[in-house]
Amino acid sequence: MNAIETINLNVYYGEKHVIKNITMNIPKNVVFTIMGPSGCGKSTLLRSFNRLLELNETARITGDIKLFGESIFDMDPRELRKRVGMVFQQPNPFPHLSIYDNVAIGPKLNRLVESKEELDKLVEWALKKAALWDEVKDRLNDPATKLSGGQQQRLCIARALAIKPEVLLLDEPTSALDPVSTAKIESLLIELKKSYTIVLVTHNMQQAARVGDYTAFILDGELIEVGETSQIFENPRDRRTEEYITGRFG
Amino acid sequence: MNFMDRFKISLLPFSALVFGIFALMLLVYFTNSAEIFSREGIKIYTTNIWLASEEPEKEFYGVLAAIYGSVFTSVIAILIALPISIAYSIFVVDFAPKKIKEWLTIATDIMAGLPTIIYGIWGVFVLVPFLKTYVMEPLYNNLSFIPLFSYPPVSGYSYLSAGVLLGIMVTPFATAVIREAYKMVPFTYREAIFALGATKYEATKVIIGYIKPAIIAGMILAFGRAIGETVAVSLVIGNTFNISPSLFAPGYTISSLIANQFGNAFIYEYMVSALFAAGLSLFFIGLAINLLAFYFLRRWEESGSRL
Repeated sequence: MNAIETINLNVYYGEKHVIKNITMNIPKNVVFTIMGPSGCGKSTLLRSFNRLLELNETARITGDIKLFGESIFDMDPRELRKRVGMVFQQPNPFPHLSIYDNVAIGPKLNRLVESKEELDKLVEWALKKAALWDEVKDRLNDPATKLSGGQQQRLCIARALAIKPEVLLLDEPTSALDPVSTAKIESLLIELKKSYTIVLVTHNMQQAARVGDYTAFILDGELIEVGETSQIFENPRDRRTEEYITGRFG
Repeated sequence: MNFMDRFKISLLPFSALVFGIFALMLLVYFTNSAEIFSREGIKIYTTNIWLASEEPEKEFYGVLAAIYGSVFTSVIAILIALPISIAYSIFVVDFAPKKIKEWLTIATDIMAGLPTIIYGIWGVFVLVPFLKTYVMEPLYNNLSFIPLFSYPPVSGYSYLSAGVLLGIMVTPFATAVIREAYKMVPFTYREAIFALGATKYEATKVIIGYIKPAIIAGMILAFGRAIGETVAVSLVIGNTFNISPSLFAPGYTISSLIANQFGNAFIYEYMVSALFAAGLSLFFIGLAINLLAFYFLRRWEESGSRL
């Protein structure tokens, strides 16, 4: 069974048609990258998977999205978002909360734990999963803003993991980071796919090539091509994909 | 000398002017109150006596009741303004339809700009009778064993009336600060909290935590307005030298004391000086509030608050 399936998915912002009839499958336990130039609709596509688009009053969705076979539009959005974690382009830990509380907030909101000990364990587990524990274990009560950009982004990954999602959505998580931090997060993603399905949006095709098992290429809201990453990069079927990966535009 | 330097220097006189006026004003208050301080010492602030006499040696002034009244009524005002302005801001930013949003914003801006005598008259004719009949009397009749409610509400002119009126008057100021801060919260934090499965209520709670510094700033502004308000308060507080824990007792505030007594203060030897000293206490209270807020904000910034 696929982790996510989209069926004739269309998204409109008011009159503007931003996602055009996309049908594709995202298998589970892979890194699935969605690649395309800025403004092609890839962030919008990602936000439809956890219905975060609904925060935008002008957004309208038609078609269907299935999470492990079940339509997400039949689910309570809160329940859905518990199963589909998200990491954003700019590291956005809550600046008024400590490192610990940034991770603890999700489990608290979703009542995942019953005691302080359980919560402590879960926070430690999430920070270890996000490869941040060793760097922060002695200063969990510091404000999250004291961390570097790369650390903040890994904290956001820990925050998303702490609610024990099945799918992790990442919206250009490294575009604001330096190469060293980027490399750390990329190797983390490859590690995480053992337990999660990772959907990674990127405009950086090298990144797609490095970490993606599957890659979808989106242009102007249309799905141009989707397939195994090696096939997309070595043997693209569509001329536009080839032009993009050879750097002729984008 | 390049342009930036000249520009910088050309701005200097203006900031110097503002600071200079402030310093000179403070100086006037210090020099004019020196007489009463040398005569009474700190007792001007620590006693509740108001002895105006034709014979200067019998004069004695202690404004503790007015200081107490100022702080008491301002605290009531803040306790009323805080929840209202937070709830109002959330409603205006998150829930109100676009058209209504504009009208609500305009309404509070007008409220902020109304001459305070308007509030005072409304307070006398509407608020005080209302509070007396529907709040004070029932509470006094049933719960007068609680010190807060222990004073018989004979006239209705009281700390409570002044506090509620001030609360209504300062709400637009607190709202303006909180609403703008709430509106400016970066969208990415809203996305982040909803992506964690928060309900609208839970998300709002987290975002309110994020704008805590603005809420504190709004409260300081509101407190400053409340403690400095004169005309409206003097109409509804009862103007009585009184120190009572009861909300329903009449009292005095520093501003209303000065406004009421200044007209005939020149008849007496020391009263003008005493009133200057009373005014000076407002400077001190303002300074204390600002330092307190500064301390809290610093601590908050350094530690990262708990959930």
